[in-house]
Amino acid sequence: MAFLTPFFLLGLSAIAIPVLIHLIQREKKRVIEFPSLMFVRRIPYQSVRRRRIRHWALLLMRAAAIALIVAAFARPFIHQGTVAAAVGGGAREVVILLDQSASMGYGDHWSRARDAARAVVRGLGADDRATLVLFDKNAEENMRATSDRTRLEAAINAAHVGSGATRYGPALKLAESILSRSAIKRREAVLVSDFQRSGWSGSEEVRFPEGMTVSTVSVASPNSANLAVPSVTFARASFSGQERITVTAGLSNKGDEPLKDVPVTLTIDGHEIQTERATVAPHAAGSVTFAQFTLTGPNVRGSVRAGADLLPADNIFHFVLAPSEPVSLAIVDSGDRSDGSLFLSKALSIGTTPTFHVDVASASRVTPTAFDKRAVAVLNDTMFPPAGGGGVLKRFLERGGGLLVVTGDHTTWPPGEAELLPGRLGATVDRTSGRSGSLGYLDYSHPVFEVFKAPRSGDFSAAHVFRYRALQTLPTDRILARFDDGAIAAAERKVGAGRAIVWTSTLDDSWTDIGVKPIFLPLVHQLVRYLAHYEPATSWFTVGQVLDLTARAKGRADKSDRIVVTPSGERISQSSAGEGSEGLLELNEQGVYEVRSSGAAAGRPEAIAVNLEPAESDLASIDPRELVAAVTGHATLVEAQPAQAQEMTREESERRQSLWWYLLMAGLLLLAAETVISNHLSRKERFL
Amino acid sequence: MTSSQALPGARFVDPKILLRVGNLELLARHVVEGFINGLHRAPYFGASIDFAEHRGYVAGDDIRRVDWRVFARTDRFYVKQYEADTNTNVSVLLDVSRSMKFSNRGVPKLEYGCFVGACLAYLAQRQRDRVGLITFDNDIVSHVPPSAKHFNVVLHTMERARPERPGNLPIPLHKMAEHFRRRGILVLISDFYEEPDAVLEAIKPLKFLGNDLIVFHVLDPAEIDFGYEDASSFEDLETGEQIPVVPESLVREYRSMIQAHILALTTKFSEHRIDYTVLNTAEPLDRALFSYLSSRERLMRVR
Repeated sequence: MAFLTPFFLLGLSAIAIPVLIHLIQREKKRVIEFPSLMFVRRIPYQSVRRRRIRHWALLLMRAAAIALIVAAFARPFIHQGTVAAAVGGGAREVVILLDQSASMGYGDHWSRARDAARAVVRGLGADDRATLVLFDKNAEENMRATSDRTRLEAAINAAHVGSGATRYGPALKLAESILSRSAIKRREAVLVSDFQRSGWSGSEEVRFPEGMTVSTVSVASPNSANLAVPSVTFARASFSGQERITVTAGLSNKGDEPLKDVPVTLTIDGHEIQTERATVAPHAAGSVTFAQFTLTGPNVRGSVRAGADLLPADNIFHFVLAPSEPVSLAIVDSGDRSDGSLFLSKALSIGTTPTFHVDVASASRVTPTAFDKRAVAVLNDTMFPPAGGGGVLKRFLERGGGLLVVTGDHTTWPPGEAELLPGRLGATVDRTSGRSGSLGYLDYSHPVFEVFKAPRSGDFSAAHVFRYRALQTLPTDRILARFDDGAIAAAERKVGAGRAIVWTSTLDDSWTDIGVKPIFLPLVHQLVRYLAHYEPATSWFTVGQVLDLTARAKGRADKSDRIVVTPSGERISQSSAGEGSEGLLELNEQGVYEVRSSGAAAGRPEAIAVNLEPAESDLASIDPRELVAAVTGHATLVEAQPAQAQEMTREESERRQSLWWYLLMAGLLLLAAETVISNHLSRKERFL
Repeated sequence: MTSSQALPGARFVDPKILLRVGNLELLARHVVEGFINGLHRAPYFGASIDFAEHRGYVAGDDIRRVDWRVFARTDRFYVKQYEADTNTNVSVLLDVSRSMKFSNRGVPKLEYGCFVGACLAYLAQRQRDRVGLITFDNDIVSHVPPSAKHFNVVLHTMERARPERPGNLPIPLHKMAEHFRRRGILVLISDFYEEPDAVLEAIKPLKFLGNDLIVFHVLDPAEIDFGYEDASSFEDLETGEQIPVVPESLVREYRSMIQAHILALTTKFSEHRIDYTVLNTAEPLDRALFSYLSSRERLMRVR
């Protein structure tokens, strides 16, 4: 124990004051004359002695209060020798960026990272402030700037590894924002991470101004081997009216050693179906195909687990399967030729995602009921079917149906139904003489042609067009494709909830040879999928995606409120009538979410499988210096280390301990207690 | 104990007011005259000239005392016998020890004792009794022999009495017992801070001589109810000893002890046929006078 201002201890002499007052007052005490104390003397003296003891207790309290107050002014502190102190002078503003992405679950990375963060906290000076930011794909300010090391350490202890992917950009931007707001001159960000290469693309545009430094603590392990199941594919086949699924799991080995005879297990609805052995070469990928199994119903949960290593999170891949529903079409042709719709029907007979259920009928024979429960109607080089008149086709479109009009010689369109056709049909244009026509423009932004956008994704120019019908569209119609002469090849009009597309040439070998070109089949599939509003069933999602449950629930009869059970067991209630973000579900955890309707009867709840981002399995790390150089603009690296042991100054020790405050409070409390007690006693003992 | 209020027509005078009078004779006359005038009749007064009985004449009797009316009826000589000698000695024995100077916002006990003594002396003097005074503490301080002419001396001596020394009953009372040769009435005024047995032992010699003893126990109200609130140092007036006292903690015990003391004295005095009266200095003097007169009456009847 030492004192910063020991001269104040002279004030201890003030302790004599209550003693003197006590002695003086004793001399002045009031004396009452009484004829004889003959009777008083016979009464035991205890009461008198007790009073005296209390008196001395009061005296001691007063003396102790004065001693405490004097000691407080003398600024005491306990000399602790060398303790950690901040290097350099002045207060610091520190932002601790602690990586909590899924890859931090590898081995002891997380515990080492937390130790490193704690060491940074312990190295903080009395005037330093620190902010704890936990980050994965997003960054969150977990503990705002504070000097309270206890709270910071508690926040670090409470943090846990998440399922998100690593992204350094948002974390560093947040750190830069926090440090920019600080008025403290010494500003520093400490990045504690495994420095996954996948988390830094180099184009994050994060730049720390001069005066801000970035320290790094890397917990990456060299030569970290990791086996992952990054994806699963499904092959669907129909057998005896039932759908059979073949699961193929992809495996990736990120280690330097080959992985031999790794057990890969397929689990369906909690039952282990099959276990296969796989061997994966170092830094290579492999696959395991399991035996077919029959899909019995919707929301079948499955998972593939491969081996066990230091990062178990990516050794499992979850999925949810549902039987595929075929897209139902009605193709109406002129009936003049028996094979008038051969190309179309053949093209649509191929396909598993989805499968197509095609019915062909001639225009003269088709009935209004033919359009019921159909997703798409195709008028293939035919006159307007009489059964479609009278608003039948219009109502079909308005309730969400799709209409594909393939023009040809037989195509006629009554003016009364003109609103259903994207444009007005003109005469036939003959391009047989000279160079035949070809498709010269495609709107790749349209969903139909989007898949052909990439190079070598379909050569439409290879198809020759010999005839087509001229088309005059309205400004509200969307032109999807044009021939090389600028004439419209395809146009779209939206009618109610439905879509209508006109293709101004044929989709067979009569006016064009597109039917024998490779792009024919995907084009027809894309057209039908688009018109049928087909959305492939998603078997899994990736951590970080946001799901619109309200949109998923559309079309279902059940409109009751939903309860979402996360993989960790947390229950989230969502209103069915929710607007805005109410129906949105952010998928933050790896595993299977369950969505239950509060009003639904027993049955399988809707399941949503969520997997890690595949890149998170790649533990290859970047050099922290590279990251620091990219952020700060210069290639200096400050390796964050626990603050060096330094001899703290007496002032620093005293300021940190602040014992004076406790002594002063104790002294004042003692005085208050003494006042209360002495007031109470003085009612009886006036001569004190 | 008879309450003063039981006396019809009694005139009560607050002792505090008497304290302002300053002249003991005036005070005594004022009190006694007021007291007597308030009585409807005076059954205890003038007994000394009353006829008592007849007895047969014997040779040597004064023939003037022969009752001739009886001789006429019976033809025998009878002599009229009157009450005993009315001129008796009344001695006031006044305690002037230091404890008697105590007063608690009222009349000091010594003053009150002087008032009582003076009033009784005045009464006695009006009855043609001889009045004397002995003041004492741990010894005899002053002595005024009983005499019909000593009334003023008695009052003067009382006025000069000062409580200066501690008291001790046995020594002076034994000396007095040796001194009194003739029977008389002894009025003892004290605060009796002695054990009851010791008090009785000290008084007994006075009683053995055939004296009629009237005892007045003078106490201040504070001595009876110990009505102090603040914790203080209490100083014994007799010894000078100081004791810190928390009245709240011992008032109940003190009161029970003083009452037990009074009760013991009452019991012991009554066993020995001694009149004993407790006088509260806050109360008027008539209780003392009433007690004296009733005592005189009783003495006459038992003769």
